[in-house]
Amino acid sequence: MSERFTAVPGRRVVSRTSAEELGNLSHVVVDVKRRQVASLVLGKGRKALLIDWDQVSGFGPDAVMVAHDTALHPAGDDREHAAADGKLDLTGKRALSDMGNDLGTITDVVFDPDTGAIESLVIGDLEQPAASLLAVGSFAVILRAPAE
Amino acid sequence: MRLLVTGSAIRGLPVVTIADGEDVAEVRDLIYSPEAGRVVGLTLNKRGFLSGRRREVLPAETIHAIGRNAVMVDDETSLIHPHDAPADVAAPPSGRDVTGNEVLTEGGESLGQVKDVVVLVGSNGEVVGYEIETASGKPGYIPLPAQLAVSGTALVVPESTKDFVKDDLVGLGAAVDEFRSRLGIR
Repeated sequence: MSERFTAVPGRRVVSRTSAEELGNLSHVVVDVKRRQVASLVLGKGRKALLIDWDQVSGFGPDAVMVAHDTALHPAGDDREHAAADGKLDLTGKRALSDMGNDLGTITDVVFDPDTGAIESLVIGDLEQPAASLLAVGSFAVILRAPAE
Repeated sequence: MRLLVTGSAIRGLPVVTIADGEDVAEVRDLIYSPEAGRVVGLTLNKRGFLSGRRREVLPAETIHAIGRNAVMVDDETSLIHPHDAPADVAAPPSGRDVTGNEVLTEGGESLGQVKDVVVLVGSNGEVVGYEIETASGKPGYIPLPAQLAVSGTALVVPESTKDFVKDDLVGLGAAVDEFRSRLGIR
């Protein structure tokens, strides 16, 4: 069953070892080159914490399970800070083709909760395969131009 | 059917990197070579309000595509110092501006005055026609052959151009290929 980015915010994050609730998801960070979920963000702003995808042991419909409480870490580099602030979110971002034409606004992202692989990008009524994703910047998401 | 855009619509477009989706500059002006029949480069402004000119230029060879909404480049290294740019981009010869030039057919008929260049969307600066102001004051659009005579005050176009004066860009987009095939270009 595929998951969607818009269904993720607010989902509980629970430690598998302590059964403690660690927080709620706010953002999903994407590794553009691998077209894969890179990490998940808990909370917002300066207090935000990140979990790398490989520390997620189960991405379920009711909770996201992580192996250890220690898997959470604060934002390190500039990119992680930008991600924690939601600046690199794909949803709500302008989609621009590599030919310089607006495609619309990204309304959702479909991914596989087992592997974290991005499957497709939803732009209104359009669904573009993840393979067309070229870059995510603060100005726009760049997609390889759909065949006309 | 070709998608076309006037030079004035390109001015102000953001210059966006394909590598990281950032708007690194915006188009200040087009550097047009009438002899080559193409845009050879773009001059640039910084992005944002009250932002001034950027010293760097964007040679056409490093433009991935001029689109309807943005000019796409691979990355910021495409923007280069004029010192490193080809001569016709770094220091365009004066008298290059075709705006205001009279368009004369080979038969000696005046079609009007040049207002702007018309660029092929998706190209890196291919100019396929001109926007003109006709004698009646109305705008018109004419296709261009690959080569034409330019003096700095007038330019001479094939007689058949007369049959291809269009009221709008859509009309010109539909006419460009037929015009060129009649002249035996491509």
